[in-house]
Amino acid sequence: MNRRIILYILGHVVKLEGVLMMLPCLVALIYKEKAGLYFLAVGAFCVLAGALLTIKKPSNHVFYLKEGCIATAFSWILLSFFGCLPFVFSGEIASFTDALFETISGFTTTGASILNDVEQMSKSMLFWRSFTHWIGGMGVLVFLLAIIPLSGGSHINLMKAESPGPSVGKLVPKVRYTARILYIIYFALTLIEIIFLLAGKMPLFDSLCTAFGTAGTGGFGTKNDSLMGFSPFIQWVVTIFMILFGVNFNAYYFIIFRNIKKAISMEEVRYYFLIIFTAIGIIFINLLNTAERISDAIRQASFQVASIITTTGFSTVDFNMWSQTSKSVLVLLMFVGACAGSTGGGIKVSRFVVLVKTVGKELGSYLHPKGIKKIKIDGKPVEHEVVRAINVYFITFMIIFAASVFLVSFEGKDMVTNFTAVAATINNIGPGLELVGPTQNFSVFGIFSKYVLMFDMLAGRLELFPLLLIFNPVMWKDFFKGKTRR
Amino acid sequence: MLLGKTTRQKGLKIIIVGCGKVGVAILKQLCNEGHDITIIDKNPEKVSIYANLYDVMGIIGNGASHSVQMEAGIENTDLIISVTDSDELNILCCTIAKQVGDCAAIARVRNPEYSKEVGYLKDKLGLTMIINPELETAAEIARILYLPTALEINSFAHGSAEMIKFKIPEKNRLAGISIAELGKQLADKSNPINILICAIEREGEVFIPSGNFVMEPFDIVSFVSTRDMSKAFMEYIGFKTARVKDTLIIGGGDVAYYLAKQLINMGIDVKIIESNKERCEELSILLPKAIVICGDGTDQDILKEEGIAYTESFVPLTGIDEENILLTLHARQHSNSKVITKINRSNFKEVISNLDLGSVVYPSNITAEAIIAYVRAKKNSDSSNIETLYHMFDSRVEAIEFHVGENSAVTDISLKDLKLKKNLLITFINRNGSIILPSGQDSIHVGDTVMIVTTHTGFKDITDILE
Repeated sequence: MNRRIILYILGHVVKLEGVLMMLPCLVALIYKEKAGLYFLAVGAFCVLAGALLTIKKPSNHVFYLKEGCIATAFSWILLSFFGCLPFVFSGEIASFTDALFETISGFTTTGASILNDVEQMSKSMLFWRSFTHWIGGMGVLVFLLAIIPLSGGSHINLMKAESPGPSVGKLVPKVRYTARILYIIYFALTLIEIIFLLAGKMPLFDSLCTAFGTAGTGGFGTKNDSLMGFSPFIQWVVTIFMILFGVNFNAYYFIIFRNIKKAISMEEVRYYFLIIFTAIGIIFINLLNTAERISDAIRQASFQVASIITTTGFSTVDFNMWSQTSKSVLVLLMFVGACAGSTGGGIKVSRFVVLVKTVGKELGSYLHPKGIKKIKIDGKPVEHEVVRAINVYFITFMIIFAASVFLVSFEGKDMVTNFTAVAATINNIGPGLELVGPTQNFSVFGIFSKYVLMFDMLAGRLELFPLLLIFNPVMWKDFFKGKTRR
Repeated sequence: MLLGKTTRQKGLKIIIVGCGKVGVAILKQLCNEGHDITIIDKNPEKVSIYANLYDVMGIIGNGASHSVQMEAGIENTDLIISVTDSDELNILCCTIAKQVGDCAAIARVRNPEYSKEVGYLKDKLGLTMIINPELETAAEIARILYLPTALEINSFAHGSAEMIKFKIPEKNRLAGISIAELGKQLADKSNPINILICAIEREGEVFIPSGNFVMEPFDIVSFVSTRDMSKAFMEYIGFKTARVKDTLIIGGGDVAYYLAKQLINMGIDVKIIESNKERCEELSILLPKAIVICGDGTDQDILKEEGIAYTESFVPLTGIDEENILLTLHARQHSNSKVITKINRSNFKEVISNLDLGSVVYPSNITAEAIIAYVRAKKNSDSSNIETLYHMFDSRVEAIEFHVGENSAVTDISLKDLKLKKNLLITFINRNGSIILPSGQDSIHVGDTVMIVTTHTGFKDITDILE
C-alpha cells in the first residue's frame, strides 16, 4: 500500500481546513467577537501540520481504490477532529463529545444538533457550523482534486470513495476538470440562492448560513425554530433550492453544456421528482383537515418533504404533531434520499430504482425461469457488478442500521425515538421524531449513543464501505507491510 | 465557457476507439502528454480498467455509431483514432466522425486487400492518416535484413538519413577509444567517413555521449549517417555489410506476406513455413517467387529439414509471442543466422531486453509512434513541425525530426553559440535533400529539417532544444 500518498492527501486536507477556518475568523472580525482567535489558532496549527506533511511530494503517485478509500475515511475523521477544536477551546460547546458530534453532523451534512439554544452561540461559531455543511456537501477531496495537481489517472479512486452514488461517471475526460465543473455548479447555485434569500429580506448572515445549509443539504439553522420564523417567500425559496441540490449534478452539466433533453430524460431525476410530488400530494391531503389555509398546507407539506428527501433537515413546522400517515411518509422518505451525484444523503433514488427493477426481474423469472432480462437505466443495461454492489450496499446498510438501533436502545428511550434517531443520522438528515423531533435535539442521548450516531453519520456520508474498510484487519496488515515490499 | 478554454490550451481532445494493444500504447503515451482523451470500446470491462488506470473518460459502445460518438463529444473533438481490430469499422468510424465533427481522423487498416488502395481511401474519405501496423513492421524488418549486423535501423528525412543501432563486439577497434578519437580516425582516412554517434546504452543506462566518452565492448551504439556513409563505417569497424541472401519466415500472417513481398523485390530468397494449408495456398498464389512450406514451424525436424542451420536470416512471425521468443532462442543455438523477433505484447519488455534476443520489433509501438508524432505535430503547428519521432532504448531516448517553418530563436545562429539543453544532440540537418552532419560552425536555416536526439521527452517544437 502506498502510505506516502495517503499521508500526502491527508496533509492537503488538513491544510485546506486550516485555510477555510480563516472565513469564520473574518466573521469574528466583522462582529468583533473574540471567538475568532480560536479559529485563528487552530487554523494556523492545521496549515502548519498540513504543510509539514506535504513538504515532499511522494514519487509514487499511483493509488488504487483501497488507498482512495482509506485516504477518504481518514480525511473525514481528521476534518471532524480539527473542526471541533474551536468549539471546545472557546467553551461554547465545552464537552469534546458534543463538539465532535456537532462537527461530524456538520461535515456529513446531517444537521443533527446537540445544542439546546442555538441563538446564544457567537456568530463566528454559527458561521463555521453552517460552513462545514457547504464543505462537506460536495466533498473535500473533490475540491482537492480540482486544485492540487496529481499526475496519473488513478485519482478517480478518490472521487469514487467520496462521491455519493452507485457508480461515479466523469463529465469530461479529466478528473480535475470534472471536479472543477462540479464545484462551479455548486458555487453558482449557492450564490443564486443567497441572492434570492437576500431579495426575501433575510439578513445577510442568516442568508449565508441558510444557503450553506441548503447547498450541502445539511440543515443547521441560525435560529432555534429552524426556518419557522421566516416569511413564506423565504420558505419557498429554500424548498425549491433544497430540491435543486438533491438533483444529480450531471443534469446541470447537461443543461449548461449540451442539451436539456438529455437532462430531462435522466431516469433517476424523473423518479426523484415523481416521489417528491407523490409525497407532497399525500401529506397535503392529510394536512387539509388541520391546516388553517390551503396555502399553508401546501407550503408546509412541500417544505417538509423537500427537507427530508434531500436529507437537509430544516423544518418550518413541528411535524412530530402530524398524523401517523404523514409521519410514516416522512420516515420512508428518509431512506430514499436524494439523487446519486447530488449533495444529499440517504440510500439514493438510483439505488432504489435498480432495486425495484431487480424485484420486477425476479418476479419475471418465476414466469419464465429461463428467460433473460437485463436491467436498464437510461436505456443502457446495468452491469451485473453494479446490481450486485447495490444489493450488498442495501444489505450492509440494513445491518448497520439494525445494529445501531440496538446499541442506542440501551438508553431505554422509546422505539420511535431510537429508530428515527438512527435513520436521521445514517441518512444524514438531522431531525427525527418524538424526542429527536424538529423542535428537540440530540442532547438527550448519552455519550455512548452519541458515538454510535457519529459513526452512523460518517458511514452514511461516505457510503459505508470506505469507513468499514478501516475496520478490516486485512487492510491494516497490508498497510503496515508496505515497507518490506519495496 | 471558461472551462472549455482552459482545457483547450492544455491539450487536444482526442477520441480513441478500440482498446487493443495499439490503442492502449497510444493511450498511455498521449495521456502522459496531457491530452483530453475519451476511449470507446464495446467491452465494458476493458473500458472500466483503462478509465480507472488513466485519467480518461470511458464510453461503452460501438465507436462507429453516431449516438456513441455524440456521447463522446465528437463535435468538439480534434482527432479521432480508430484502432479496433476491424478495418471496416475503423474506416466507417472515421468517416462518420469526419461528417459530424469535422476532426482529423486516423484509421488502422491492415487487410492486404485494402493496402493497395490506401492512398485512394485516404483522399476520397478525407482521412488524415491510414496506418497499417503489419506493413510498417514488415518494412522495419526488411530494413534490418538489408544491413543484418545492425540491431535496429530507422530512416529519417524520407530515407536519405539512417539511424543505426549496433552492439560493439568483444574485440573491436571501437572498444576503448573515445568518440573524439574515433572522429579523428574517420576524418584522417583517404576518403573520410562522416557519421555521428548519438546515443550509447551501457548496462541499462543511456548516455548522449560527449567527445571524451570512451566506448567499451557490449555497448549498444546508435549513430546517424547517410546510407552509403553508414555502410562504409560499418565496414571500417569490421562488420559485414552485405545484406542477407535468404530468409526463413515462420508463420504466414500479414506481416509475413508484406515482408516476403519486400524481400523478394530486393532479390532475397524467401521461405515461409505456415501450418494452415489454405493460407499456404493463398500465399503461394500471392507470392509466386517464395517457397511456401506447409508444416508446423515450431517442429524442430521441419526446421532442420528446411535448413535452419544454413539460412542467413530467420524471422519468427507467429501470432504467439512466447513461440517467437523460443524459436529465436532455438535459432541462436542452432545457427549463425540473423534473427529478428516480433513481439506483440509489450508488457514484458524489460525481461525480454535482458534475454539478448538481438533485434526485436514491437508492432504496437511502431504504430503508436507514428500516431504520436502526428499528434505532437498537430498540437503545435505554428513555427515548426515534427516530421518523425522515434523512441529508442525503451522510450528513454527520443529522436525527433523537426521541420523548421519560420524564423525563431534557433535559426541562423551557429550551433556552438546556441545554449542547448543537456543530454541533447543535433544529429543532422537536412537541407534540400542533402544531409549535413553538423559541426559548431553550421547553423539551422528556415526550410531545413533538423533531427535531434535527447533523453528529455515531450518536445513539441524546435525551440524546445534551448535551455
